Amino acid sequence: MLVLKDFSVDTSRWKLVNNFLVIALSLWGVSRHDYSVKDVSLFESFLIEAFAPIQRGTLSVKEKITYMFDHYVMIVDTSKDNADLKKKVLNLENNIFKLEEVQKENMRLKQLLQFGAEIPREKVLAQVVSWDSSNEFKVLRINKGSNHGLKKMSPVITMTGLVGYVYRLSANYADILTILDQNNRVDAIISRTRSHGIVEGDSSFKCSLKYVIRTEELNNGDEIITAGLGNIYPKGIKIGKVTKIDKEDYGITQTIEITPSVDFHKLEEVVVLIEREGLRIEDQGSMDIMSKEITKDTK
Amino acid sequence: MKYSPLDIVLGILKTSVLLILLEIFTSAFLPTLGIIDFKPAFSVLIVLFLAFKLETPVLPFLIFITQYVHSIFSIEGWAIGTLTGVVVSLSVRYLKDLLDFSTAISTIVVVQLFQLAWFIMISFLLCIKLGDFSSYLHIFWQFVPESVVLSLISPLFFILLDKVWRVGDTTRGVSI
Repeated sequence: MLVLKDFSVDTSRWKLVNNFLVIALSLWGVSRHDYSVKDVSLFESFLIEAFAPIQRGTLSVKEKITYMFDHYVMIVDTSKDNADLKKKVLNLENNIFKLEEVQKENMRLKQLLQFGAEIPREKVLAQVVSWDSSNEFKVLRINKGSNHGLKKMSPVITMTGLVGYVYRLSANYADILTILDQNNRVDAIISRTRSHGIVEGDSSFKCSLKYVIRTEELNNGDEIITAGLGNIYPKGIKIGKVTKIDKEDYGITQTIEITPSVDFHKLEEVVVLIEREGLRIEDQGSMDIMSKEITKDTK
Repeated sequence: MKYSPLDIVLGILKTSVLLILLEIFTSAFLPTLGIIDFKPAFSVLIVLFLAFKLETPVLPFLIFITQYVHSIFSIEGWAIGTLTGVVVSLSVRYLKDLLDFSTAISTIVVVQLFQLAWFIMISFLLCIKLGDFSSYLHIFWQFVPESVVLSLISPLFFILLDKVWRVGDTTRGVSI
């Protein structure tokens, strides 16, 4: 009985010590965690490298299951000959479909590569592999990493506009903090009036433009582009359009809602811009040409 | 139930594998179906199970491991979830006599209440960390459907985890 009592005292002491240790460790972790850019430890990098291919493989598994269901399970009850013929036709159709998909993909990739040819940066094409598993964060994972020349804070774009920047990096994968995330702040210009503001994600699939003076006359549909300040994004990349303006009777700024020009629900491929050695963002100058090109492309 | 070190290691290994599969489902499979704004937090459900059902002094470390696995798939990191998980597990210890997992309904209600407590704490910590409380309400409206789905599946999920941790060996487990 005495032994048991001693054991339970020991256990509760252990519990107390463990709880204290883990709470202290967590508080240290919370204070150290940076939501704007993150260094990855070797162990974290190993884990990301190990599990990201499975995330990437999910798409092909889904396609195979759909294929099996559509092309095998659904024709089990038909006569054998008919099934064989149908199978042949389906296979041919499937091949045509695959070729068409490859053709479309080629077109998209070509356009992506040709797009912004005047941007004096190296461009790396990447595929979106997965999204962050927490809803509070709008982060996506791509299939290119430091082995492909990516660097932290490299801007990420598509043909239609700005996606975000590289937040954390492993050898073959990178996490992109999108402009939809609250932790991502982009220095922006309203294309028509040339007034400055800061674009922030607002947890939904919209952004808000902050710190624009009340007296600035804005209209719905005004284009917002990157200002090029802050040493992350080149100047002139399209961010989105103004869709809602709230101007209170008081205060010195107005609240502006922006709909991003990138459709994040349909995002498959992105381009990562990597700064060449010796080239500074400030030197890139007239990038407004690019925003015109994007506008032309989207139209 | 008393666990040997080997039981603990095996249990957390199996739980981690299960969590990895569920995180891949949430982060990769759902987006391939076009669902990118519905992400049930399975890591929370696992931590709640550990807090409700496990009597072990190493519980805080198990919570830490679960959150560390979660951090591979989310930039949320391990720290905020671990801190919240340990605080929630401490509150569970004081409320243990009031908690009932004998029926599916009671499990759903208890899980929903603790998910709400989890949400309040974690989003408060996040807002403090980010210095921005403006999106608190929006995050809450995203949390509601996800947490309801997690609560509804919790009785079945707990049966599965009961088997992983062999909780049913000494207790009645969850009946539907």
